[in-house]
Amino acid sequence: MEIVSSRLSPALEKIFQLSGLNRNGMNTEPMEEKALDVYDVIRSIRDPEKPNTLEELEVVTEKCVEIQELNEDEFLIIIRFSPTVPHCSLATLIGLCIQVKLQRCLPFKHKLEIYISEGTHSTEEDINKQINDKERIAAAMENPNLREIVEQCVAEPDD
Amino acid sequence: MASHFSGVLQLTDLDDFITPSQECVKPVKVEKKKGKSVAKIQIEDDGSYVQVNQDGGKQKLERAKITLNDCLACSGCITSAESVLITQQSHEELLKVLRNNKTKETEQKTVVVSVSPQSRASLAAHYNLSSSEAGRKLTSFLKGLGVHHVFDTSFSRTFSLLESQREFVDRFSRKQQDSKAVPMLTSACPGWICYAEKTHGDYILPYISTTRSPQQMMGSLVKSYFAEQQGLSPQQIYHVAVMPCFDKKLEASRSDFYLSKAETREVDCVITSGEVQKMLEEQNVSLSDVEPAALDTMFSSVCGDEFLSHAGSGSGGYLQHVFTYAAKQLFGEEVKELTYKTLRNKDFQEVRLEKDGAVLLCFASTYGFRNIQNLVQKLKRGKSPYHFVEVMACPSGCLNGGGQVRPSSSQNQKELLQQVEELYRAERPLLPENDTRVAELYESWLHTLGAERAKELLHTQFHAVEKMTNGLTIKW
Amino acid sequence: MKEALSLVQRISAHPDSCCWFVSWSPNGALLASCGGDKAVRIWGREGDSWICKTVLQDGHQRTVRKVAWSPCGNYLASASFDATTCIWKKKNDDFESLTVLEGHENEVKCVAWAPSGNLLATCSRDKSVWVWEVDEDEEYECVTVLNAHTQDVKHVAWHPKKELLASASYDNNICIYKEEDDDWECQATLQGHTSTVWSLCFDASGERMASCSDDRTVKIWKECPSENGQGNLSWKCVCTLSGYHGRTVYDVAWCELTGALATACGDDAVRVFKEDVTASPDEPVFSLVAQETKAHSEDANCVSWNPKEAGLLASCSDNGEIVIWRFKEEELD
Repeated sequence: MEIVSSRLSPALEKIFQLSGLNRNGMNTEPMEEKALDVYDVIRSIRDPEKPNTLEELEVVTEKCVEIQELNEDEFLIIIRFSPTVPHCSLATLIGLCIQVKLQRCLPFKHKLEIYISEGTHSTEEDINKQINDKERIAAAMENPNLREIVEQCVAEPDD
Repeated sequence: MASHFSGVLQLTDLDDFITPSQECVKPVKVEKKKGKSVAKIQIEDDGSYVQVNQDGGKQKLERAKITLNDCLACSGCITSAESVLITQQSHEELLKVLRNNKTKETEQKTVVVSVSPQSRASLAAHYNLSSSEAGRKLTSFLKGLGVHHVFDTSFSRTFSLLESQREFVDRFSRKQQDSKAVPMLTSACPGWICYAEKTHGDYILPYISTTRSPQQMMGSLVKSYFAEQQGLSPQQIYHVAVMPCFDKKLEASRSDFYLSKAETREVDCVITSGEVQKMLEEQNVSLSDVEPAALDTMFSSVCGDEFLSHAGSGSGGYLQHVFTYAAKQLFGEEVKELTYKTLRNKDFQEVRLEKDGAVLLCFASTYGFRNIQNLVQKLKRGKSPYHFVEVMACPSGCLNGGGQVRPSSSQNQKELLQQVEELYRAERPLLPENDTRVAELYESWLHTLGAERAKELLHTQFHAVEKMTNGLTIKW
Repeated sequence: MKEALSLVQRISAHPDSCCWFVSWSPNGALLASCGGDKAVRIWGREGDSWICKTVLQDGHQRTVRKVAWSPCGNYLASASFDATTCIWKKKNDDFESLTVLEGHENEVKCVAWAPSGNLLATCSRDKSVWVWEVDEDEEYECVTVLNAHTQDVKHVAWHPKKELLASASYDNNICIYKEEDDDWECQATLQGHTSTVWSLCFDASGERMASCSDDRTVKIWKECPSENGQGNLSWKCVCTLSGYHGRTVYDVAWCELTGALATACGDDAVRVFKEDVTASPDEPVFSLVAQETKAHSEDANCVSWNPKEAGLLASCSDNGEIVIWRFKEEELD
């Protein structure tokens, strides 16, 4: 299985960003396009505690999305996000928001894995396990108080 | 790290991710404010945070910290409570106070240690002594360290038993008007109380006896009566309780037992039987080798140099005492001996008073989480036949408390428990109403204070913990 | 390998929701399913097809995670994320709610009836396993609360012949419990899986157990005399099936009639393994004999063998579907 990741250097990446060039217009690989689609879904998720988006807080960046082809019509999406502080107690909640939003918004068939970027959290393994346990996620989303917060975080900004 | 709390508490939603090394931080949602923020936050050289306003004025920011009270008021984990307690209430704290007494002129404290009979029995079993011997030797050891008074919580338990008896008869007589008057559920077990407050709230709490536990009765005696007698302020006394149970530390920390005027707790520190054993080991002392000392008779239930105890269960004998008293008071029946009928298991027993085929009184003891569960469910369904229930969180009750001395490598837990039970029962029982010293205190002290103040000193209250509804703090 | 699983029927059982679990009644005539729509559905055969006979609604406030039939087939227990377990009693063709078992702090993940029908086990995210006893008056009382796991308990299963209970957990371990003196005790902790153990089941004899995990393996455990020679039994892992499953294995089912082992996997597939009869029982060999890689369009959550009709298999998925399969062993030379 081929693993496709961004081949652009960070510097070039920045130039594209600054100039507002649409990378999709370039001859990029379809995987990369898919990764950008995925990123577009998660960038606007709001932090549960702060008024900013995950992108603004650099909890997620374009590079945190990895896509692999599982078979012709199904993809494996791997997200690695970085909580703002190493003992952030809301990392599981951020993971939950990413899970929920991707489940709802992605137009193609996929399997999803979400991890904390290595070395960014003191209880990395525990969190990774929890945010990839679909039973825990399903139960969490039935808790009205948790659900309310997640809905607020994943709602598309009005503007 | 394994938790020290009783099984009941450990079951109650321990957090998955807050490890003792990591402090619980209750997250707060910050709303996005319109416009630019006008203040800056600076970190000073001493590490404190300071807010610098536009006009240059500085304001020191408070550091957010979770106190034990925050933690106990939260329906979430008790992990933080545990780590806080370990640092606040340990034998090291006692030693610190004692050291301070020796080295410093100021802040001298009168140190009082109140030892529970269950702890005495546990230490006696470990050091191959009789319970009274263990008590005398422990008194000697503690005084050698600089402790001023060593009391016995059997003495304060006499108050607990007398108050329970009266409370029950009162509740029983208004059971027609008040649907939550009976069954009266005992409140001496802090594990059970914490569980009831956190998970069953207003539904169960009205059934719970307001009578203080022996530990907190002693708190009243020491920080109120004793302080007054000695001409000391409550703050000048450091009161330590030696208990068979780790959860007792939680009880001592309850805000209900904090004297806000005097800024002190009625019981400053609780150490377990096991921690006393550790103290002895740290000083390289075997309790068996210690020369016994005379007992402090002020607040001790003693006859000569022998300790006196109470009849009934090793968890205070509440059922036994309330039963015999109620039978006499309510039905004029003299009950010489109680017949305990074992129900589903050994930790679920029943005692009845029957006359002409009618059940006049139906009492039970339910120990351990499984039996507590069935009791609670029966109450919720209105199917409980009981008038009174002695409830304890630990299987086998307080003699088997989580703070007792652990069995040595060659010992098995069951044999040790049996030995502790035998040692405990070897102390001669005293009827609470025959304790002249206690009767005297009721007369000379409590009577003069008036009914309302006496109630404060002898009773307490319970508070339902609200379920967490802040999504940010919910563990899933 | 020749395809040996053939499709009998595909049913949209819990539309717009997820189907978590399916369970055949002891006589094999009914199939109960449950899911994210908070309902339990009962399916029965009419002519050639399976149709919905009854929907048990209003029993639960949240997802129904698992259902279990009593050995007599007259009661159904449902475990829900709403922290309760409902007991339903069969009345003619319908079911009525008999009682609700409360006590778990949060989501009940599984419920299972002991072979005697007098005991019921439940487990929860609250890390505990509870055993309940039923008396003649259909009253349920808690017999024990077991805290051997350090995390979320995902599954409980009874030994088919003895009063022995096994539980699988998020803490990667399996625990085996037995009644001892006055209370139940954890007699053995089986370590080996490297991630959440999602499910387990005994074989017909009860001498072996299969477990499946997030570590993408299935393990076969065998009961053996303990090393210290005392009465307690110990269990050894005698076989690990790895390399077959592409993602988490959510369920494993051992057919009482044929000995075939089926799995439900997060890679959408349903697989069937058979044991090589010539191998030594202490070192069994299992080989993949049937595989339906796109059995479902989403994660396969559960597999269940019909207890009376050999080879009839039901599976269900996150997309709310139930699929009935027929497993036929191909006569290969």
